[in-house]
Amino acid sequence: MGIQSLNLKNYDYYLILATSAVLFAIGLVCVLGVWYSYGVFTMNPDWQGTVQYPTYINLMNMHVYPFVLVLLLALGLCIPKRIVPRTSLIKVTACILVFTLVISIAYSIEAGIAFILLMSIAVQAVVLVLTLIKSGALTFDREGHMIQVGSSLLHLGTVLFIFDFASMWESTYHIPVFWVVTLLLTMGLLISFYPSTISRVLNPTK
Amino acid sequence: MGYQEYLAAREFVTTIGQPIITYTLIVSAVLFLLSVYCLVKRDEQVIEYSTTLLKVNTTLLALGFLVFAWFHFKIYSTIEVVYPDYVAAYVFQTSGIQLTSSRFAIPLWIEAEKMYFWALCLSFFAWQIAWKYRDVATTVLPVVNIMLSFLIGISYFYANPFADPLPVVHSEITGWTQAITSQDPQFIGQMSMQVFGRVTYYYNSMYMWTHPPMLFIAYASLAVTFAACLFMLLRKEVIYDRIAYSHAKIGYLFLTLGMLIGYPWAVIAWEGDWWWDPKINGSIMMWVLYSAYLHTRIYLNRKYMWEATAILGIVCFASLVFTYLLTYVVPGIHSVAQT
Repeated sequence: MGIQSLNLKNYDYYLILATSAVLFAIGLVCVLGVWYSYGVFTMNPDWQGTVQYPTYINLMNMHVYPFVLVLLLALGLCIPKRIVPRTSLIKVTACILVFTLVISIAYSIEAGIAFILLMSIAVQAVVLVLTLIKSGALTFDREGHMIQVGSSLLHLGTVLFIFDFASMWESTYHIPVFWVVTLLLTMGLLISFYPSTISRVLNPTK
Repeated sequence: MGYQEYLAAREFVTTIGQPIITYTLIVSAVLFLLSVYCLVKRDEQVIEYSTTLLKVNTTLLALGFLVFAWFHFKIYSTIEVVYPDYVAAYVFQTSGIQLTSSRFAIPLWIEAEKMYFWALCLSFFAWQIAWKYRDVATTVLPVVNIMLSFLIGISYFYANPFADPLPVVHSEITGWTQAITSQDPQFIGQMSMQVFGRVTYYYNSMYMWTHPPMLFIAYASLAVTFAACLFMLLRKEVIYDRIAYSHAKIGYLFLTLGMLIGYPWAVIAWEGDWWWDPKINGSIMMWVLYSAYLHTRIYLNRKYMWEATAILGIVCFASLVFTYLLTYVVPGIHSVAQT
């Protein structure tokens, strides 16, 4: 498929399939975690209070890490599609990946992740503002202003959530940012799921 | 004086509540049989009967819930824990909390009451389906009714909230009363600290009042999604997807918010390492699977996506049941299971 003839619907469809597969894989890792925990608890009931528990946490992080990374990439690819013209989407996507890779090799994987996250937060914040002012510059797969606002809030909440856990874990702002994430995600879900009801509540005269 | 009044209220709950839950069980058993019949054969009269029984069941469950509510209010109004000065000084020194006295503001979904609360929520959803979707009276509704009967059965035989109301709370209140009666400063101090911890960080916590009920509402709603997904596999009719999706939306919203609210609570209440605890694992698994379900559903009209979404909806519910049972089977910080 040529760049010019790129179909946004197909792009979105394959992204969603990839996202679902990654989510399913994370679910499977969690099942393995439960299975492992059950086995160890049977042998040592006090396992959670021992020094072996942090080793298990590291082990789980190590197994989940690649999938979260792929999820992050999927999000990183999903977010620019709203703001970048269809014809340039593949080029922009490739640029983001190359930049992330270069930063990861030159500095560290954490720096690469921080780059893609901060870029996603910045782009998504712009998308949210443009959506709120009903800018025509955005491309959305689904019609309806409220659905677009909901989708923007959800994406911003999700990247901020990952950023909060990946880069602000030990910061004093971790929990305050977490509450902001909770607000964004709740509002995003409410507006995405019930756009017409929310719209009626906000504009009772229409 | 307050303790005697509390004991009388506790006895009254058993006297009133036991018949209520027994009638609920009987109605549920009949509802179960009628629902099985409805699944096999479409009979308008039987559908009418089962709808009436569902309404009776919901009313009985709501009545039982009101009895709880009254009992919880009585605990709040009759029991007051007045902390000795030395305990108040110690708490202020260690946690900065100004302490004089506490009352037990106990949520309505602890100990054996949680299964009952789940059944009550599911009952309301079943009633809503009976009222809103007449077309599924012989498909989704009977399956939901069967699940409801099953929950009520478990509640009656394994987690009866009326047989011995709130045994843990009762032991704490009794322990406190014994300490006061003994006038032993060491015993009073010990019990004060125990009650202070439980009341402040558990019963009266804003998180305890919000985190569990949101999850139980989510579980009930997602049970309906499961029933509708079963029929999505059997019949390719839009109504099943509509029911599955509308309840998945409610369920996912409450599940997400409930889980998010649980996080700051865990940070405050649990010291040490608790990430990837079995229950946390299970909850993340359940959430990611429901997220996958909502993603695949967007492209329902594509090849194989109808079936994939339906199967995912069923797998999601299996993960929900698995996660719920983890609390009782696999030990951990969020568990009651013993090795």
